[in-house]
Amino acid sequence: MARAAVAAGGKEERVMPLTAMIVDDEELARDYLRELLARHVDIEIVAQCSDGFDAVKEASARRPDLLFLDIQMPKLDGFEVLDLIEPGIAVIFVTAYDQYALRAFEVHAVDYLLKPFHQKRFEEALVRARLRVGAAMTPPAPELAAAARAPEEYLQRVVARDGAQIHIIPVDKLDYAEAQEDYVLLKTGGKGILKRQTISSLEASLDPDRFVRIHRSLLINLDRLARIEPFKKDSKVVVLRDGTQLPVSRAGLDRLRTLLGEEA
Amino acid sequence: MLVAPLMALYAAVCRTSQYLNAPSFLNKKPTARAVLFVIPALAASALCTGAASLAAPLAARSLASDTLPARFSAQLPLLFGMGVLVYLLYALLSELARQAERSRLAEVRAVEADLMAREAEFRALKAQVNPHFLFNSLHSISALTTIDAARARETCILLADFLRSTLGLGDKAAITLREELDLTHKYMSIEQVRFGNRLRMEESVAPEAMESMVPPLLLQPLYENAVKHGVSAMADGGWVRLEATVEDGRLTMRLSNQFDPDSPVRRGQRVGVRNVQRRLEARYGETAGLIPSSEDGVWRVRLWLPAERKSA
Repeated sequence: MARAAVAAGGKEERVMPLTAMIVDDEELARDYLRELLARHVDIEIVAQCSDGFDAVKEASARRPDLLFLDIQMPKLDGFEVLDLIEPGIAVIFVTAYDQYALRAFEVHAVDYLLKPFHQKRFEEALVRARLRVGAAMTPPAPELAAAARAPEEYLQRVVARDGAQIHIIPVDKLDYAEAQEDYVLLKTGGKGILKRQTISSLEASLDPDRFVRIHRSLLINLDRLARIEPFKKDSKVVVLRDGTQLPVSRAGLDRLRTLLGEEA
Repeated sequence: MLVAPLMALYAAVCRTSQYLNAPSFLNKKPTARAVLFVIPALAASALCTGAASLAAPLAARSLASDTLPARFSAQLPLLFGMGVLVYLLYALLSELARQAERSRLAEVRAVEADLMAREAEFRALKAQVNPHFLFNSLHSISALTTIDAARARETCILLADFLRSTLGLGDKAAITLREELDLTHKYMSIEQVRFGNRLRMEESVAPEAMESMVPPLLLQPLYENAVKHGVSAMADGGWVRLEATVEDGRLTMRLSNQFDPDSPVRRGQRVGVRNVQRRLEARYGETAGLIPSSEDGVWRVRLWLPAERKSA
């Protein structure tokens, strides 16, 4: 469908004007996108950002329809930005070279531009992006980021947003995570931060040798484990170093014991 | 009958000559070593001849032979002399075998070092045309064509210059630090087009360090890291600083850059440093080295190698 639109000329303009945002830490790269967008009278550039924090702030405040997003940037990378903004913004990734990211974009049909890119390529991407305005990104940002990582490479930090506040939690500071309906409660140093993500998606992003799913709704940092204690008959409870007691399922107990190298 | 056990005993005694090849002996002068071989040879032979003459009467009694002791005493000096000779011969042969083994090992090591040096060279050259660097630079040039055509052309030429100089380096074993810095300056000017004021360069190089020889493209991958993992990950940018000195025949370079301690470690950050480390090791062995460290948002790499001048 998108291809057909491109073949038809890609110049068709919608009646409804669109807003766009440019995020790239290199000034020349921003200039180039601005130049290309200037040819589209129906698109208004509402913000230009040079780092990840700024991008999240502006995207939340201005809710643009289109977002041109660089991957390697100061403070937050492109995937983290995507993770922290509201769904419904049509994102076009802009990057120079990253074999794993490119594969992830291809597999998940995410629009991207490879630097350096020609105006023609830009127009094609724009046509496709216009069709996606208002639709949620598929797959969700954490899954896309996971697909873009090299094999055996795991998340080094988890990002979450609470209003205007951005939380960056290095994975070694994450004590455990608890599923709460559509959210996951990230526990770090006694604090709890809510993030809209499934616990399975979080689990898939983390190093399986360091984080273990002890229960349908619980994922713990193995480093925080103090001991496993008997609880009632036939069941056990996991005690963390700070004294927190967490229920452990039978399968979770097996996984824990395998990781700890104990006989099941 | 007597001969077999005697020979076995003597073979065991001869093995003591191996202790003479211990490093503490090997360090002595040849004449001293000769004496050191002869004394145990005499002692060993005397020991065995003595043992044999003690054993002879016993053997004679068991064989009920009267002539044996007399015949035996007549042969004693010969036995003693042969004992000394056999001992010395054994010592000599084992020494020769050891030296052959040593030179074979040295050869293997030399081939290995050569192979590693080549491999490191190849990797360094490949890293040169780092796709990320190349595509980003080309993107800057492409953006500049409409914004500032003259600067686009300038950057194009800068990039071509840089690529050309790296191409010519493949077969050079060493270049002066001055030449290496020329190259890194070209590289950094291209990066400067991308990052503008965010990238700040500082340099303090002693004049005698400038003329010291370094393997080509030794510093370039470190500069690349400084930009990629340091300055480019900082919103307001940062500095990259080089200090180089020569002291006691040793060239020491310190390359440092600011970085954001909160930003995650990116892929490939350690690869560059490891490659440089391997290259130094393969080439200079223990007389060169590299130590990375980080403190208070500053990443440092200290590297040193023998300060060699260009041979005329």
